[in-house]
Amino acid sequence: MLGVEAVAIELDEVSPGLRSSGKVLLVKGEKVLEDDGDLAATSIVEVAKAKGLQALLVGDTRFGRVVAAKAAARLRVGSLGKGKRLRAEGGSLVVTRDVYGGKFLADVAARLPCVALVQPGSYSAAEGSAVPAETMTLTVGDPKIVVKETKRGRQAEAGIKSATIIVSAGRGFAKKDDLLLASDLAKALGGALGGSRPLSSDLGWLGEEQQIGLTGAYVHPKLYVAVGISGQLQHVAGIKDSKVIVAINNDKEAPIFQFADYGIVGDLYEVLPALTKLLKNG
Amino acid sequence: MKLFGPEHERVLSSLYGDGASEFDVLLRSFSAVLEAKVLPLSLGLDQGKGDIGQTRRTLFEQGLCKLSHPERYGGMGLPFGVYALAMELAGAADASTAMSIGIHNTVADAVAQFGSEEQRRKLLPSLLSGEKLAAFALTEPSSGSDARSMRTRAAKDGKHFVLDGSKMFITNAGEADVYLVFASTGAGHSAFLVEGSNPGLKVGAQLREKLGMRGSHTAEVKLEKCRVAAEDSLLGDEGAGFECAKKLLDSSRIVMGMMCVGIARTAYVKALAYSRSRELFGKKLSDFQLTREKLANSVIEMNASRLLCMHAARLKELGLSFTSEAAQGKVLATETSARTCDAAIQLLGGYGYATDDVHRHWRDARLLAIGEGASEVLRLLIASRELEPTA
Amino acid sequence: MNIVVLVKDAVDEAELRADPSGHPIQKGATTKMSNFDKNGVEEAVKQKEEHGGTITVLTLGGAESKKAMREAMAMGGTRGVHILAEPEAAPDSLGTAYYLAKAIQRIGEVDLVVCSEGASDTYMGQVGAMVAEFLGMPFLAYAKKVEVDGVKITCEQGVEKGVRVLEAKLPAVVSVLSETNVPRYPTLLQVMVASKKAIEDVQLSTLKESDYPVTGFEVLSVTVQPVNRKRLILEGKPEEAAKKLVEALRQEGVL
Repeated sequence: MLGVEAVAIELDEVSPGLRSSGKVLLVKGEKVLEDDGDLAATSIVEVAKAKGLQALLVGDTRFGRVVAAKAAARLRVGSLGKGKRLRAEGGSLVVTRDVYGGKFLADVAARLPCVALVQPGSYSAAEGSAVPAETMTLTVGDPKIVVKETKRGRQAEAGIKSATIIVSAGRGFAKKDDLLLASDLAKALGGALGGSRPLSSDLGWLGEEQQIGLTGAYVHPKLYVAVGISGQLQHVAGIKDSKVIVAINNDKEAPIFQFADYGIVGDLYEVLPALTKLLKNG
Repeated sequence: MKLFGPEHERVLSSLYGDGASEFDVLLRSFSAVLEAKVLPLSLGLDQGKGDIGQTRRTLFEQGLCKLSHPERYGGMGLPFGVYALAMELAGAADASTAMSIGIHNTVADAVAQFGSEEQRRKLLPSLLSGEKLAAFALTEPSSGSDARSMRTRAAKDGKHFVLDGSKMFITNAGEADVYLVFASTGAGHSAFLVEGSNPGLKVGAQLREKLGMRGSHTAEVKLEKCRVAAEDSLLGDEGAGFECAKKLLDSSRIVMGMMCVGIARTAYVKALAYSRSRELFGKKLSDFQLTREKLANSVIEMNASRLLCMHAARLKELGLSFTSEAAQGKVLATETSARTCDAAIQLLGGYGYATDDVHRHWRDARLLAIGEGASEVLRLLIASRELEPTA
Repeated sequence: MNIVVLVKDAVDEAELRADPSGHPIQKGATTKMSNFDKNGVEEAVKQKEEHGGTITVLTLGGAESKKAMREAMAMGGTRGVHILAEPEAAPDSLGTAYYLAKAIQRIGEVDLVVCSEGASDTYMGQVGAMVAEFLGMPFLAYAKKVEVDGVKITCEQGVEKGVRVLEAKLPAVVSVLSETNVPRYPTLLQVMVASKKAIEDVQLSTLKESDYPVTGFEVLSVTVQPVNRKRLILEGKPEEAAKKLVEALRQEGVL
């Protein structure tokens, strides 16, 4: 696909479908994910040097970004962030990505070898034969950061990154308990529940992994229902690849209606139960 | 809505030259705060929801009242025009809050200009910070424009004065910690600082039928055997009260005029946006000449009002007389602003008439052709200057 | 405590327009302090208020960038260091991190470097970690909460799956999130005072040494993303609209 010796780096299992015709470098181990990205970066750098790898592709998650940055700095190569699509061109790796809040699409390039962060879900899983695993022994220094504690968040719902139907909640919901209306609709549709950044970051009503948008996940469902979401550029950036977008908001001026196929201007507290009822009754 | 726009930048440049960039940065920062913390609450205040104390506090914390007061009293020592322009922006964010603070600041002005060193020391810091709120009590049930005919009396009693009478349409009534009360004393009039806690000062019921400025608290204030100590309370010389009032009103008229320009601008921006999107007869509302005429007239009048008021402000900064120019600025600003707000209602059509968020601007602006010097009185003032015997 | 806070003067994406061929009109585009950087500045100011010391606002950018620096200084920055780099010749993430690190090394005894999760206009989220690498400092990323106790820094890190509590020794680099704090609005007096604070200009060439990393980074094209959506509004009471929606979705084949 890329035409160069690429390596997809798997950190944690959050980058599904990221495969190339080349080798997959699996950086696994409890220890690796327990530090600040130092160990993972070290491993990647060692393998890259040993194997003369050209492109190091890392899944774009918070942890992935840190690891990619450290690896790039150590190898003194370019690092391209959050790409939707990649291609090799004339000795460089070209990444297509959202810029300026998602208003514009940019093609940015760095000379090979380089590191690139790939938006999880950008590519569907390809067929390929299993490659025999190789083991390498590495020496790593003492970590500069100690992880004192890991508090798991709520159990993540069916991953939104691979969901085919998503119901997404925004600030239109008055309180956390009201999200039940959204999750009921999601259930009736057979889909997953996601949300805009304020609901996970500022309010803590949803987990980080449910955040959809420029700084969260990019989703690719066949149906995306945005409920009580105003439609800021930063959120919309994450839903562009949806086949059908529906917006429900009581403000007819809300920007989301410009980005939707179907819109209902109304009170979500009335529309959602009506919708859920209809779907349940077939 | 961006409150600080290119037109403000240009006014600052043309009036202050090189010094403008500093004021630019200040007013931009101020606008950002207004947009985030005052503007979103404005409609609610008109509709009787929300608390003007909150929006007022935002402006006090920013230091709005400190802008042009001298540094030695805790002010920032900036030119009066910067404060005037800041008040346009405050008016654009919320008329009631701007009005409330403008009136409060007139009392701070009074203490700064006419107070004894002791009165300034005791009162100014807390007035400038907003820790204490003030009200300006000149108007009475039976005397507005004819202030000299006021009936409130202050009778001397040894080292005290006893005030009796009634004041009407007092902004900040009931909330204020200190009231500047004008009363007739002997042959003339005097100004008195009366604490809100004084048992002789009674605040009547809030006026609930005001056309606009619904966010601010307005009521009648009765003085019943209201006893005050002369040394603390008398502001300026006995008998000089009326002259003090006139001087204070000169400055406050500039501010009220600028505030009106702000109110008009908010209405105008809504009308402009609507005219761009509304479709009729196969065209946009903004395509029609009669629409464009309204927009052009609004811009001409807002800019003219702003510049005339700022001209008066600059004269004040330079220590020159500015009474007539301030009156001219207020007449122009208050009358044309109401016209601009009315044009906005017209452009927004049914929605203009049926939506608080549109017609409240006209309702707010409409007061200012009446208060702080009715247009009629101001025109007489301007004309009498013209007809003064030439030396 | 000597703190350095990294601030970027980013393109204001809300104001950025496209020309007829779909390219962004970058010349004269409005800029603003990158949204997330405000949280970085706020965190730096909080730490200074608690532990005393100074804050150096460090920015790499064109002449326009001083505006954002003054904002940061009004919030509580003590002084500024401006690495002058014209937007047309702006370095990539690695180059930017290189210059920032060199400038920090010149500043001297730095205890803490604060930055944000990423720039609001490009959002690559790489510079913070790279700066830490060049400085040989630990990088505490995505900190929801930061606590400094002597030479120990502890933070609560927000990751997708939950929260991790990290600990390291100063000097360190920490990046904060938008939920970490609520950035303060400076008062008019603070803005006025900030306009008089010192900003040191540094030429890019004085920082560049033989170890400058050349990555061959290039922006090949930037084009506006068109929106091709139906934008159909389904009218009626909730029940009616819901019915219309279900029908439409069945027609679309997504239900």
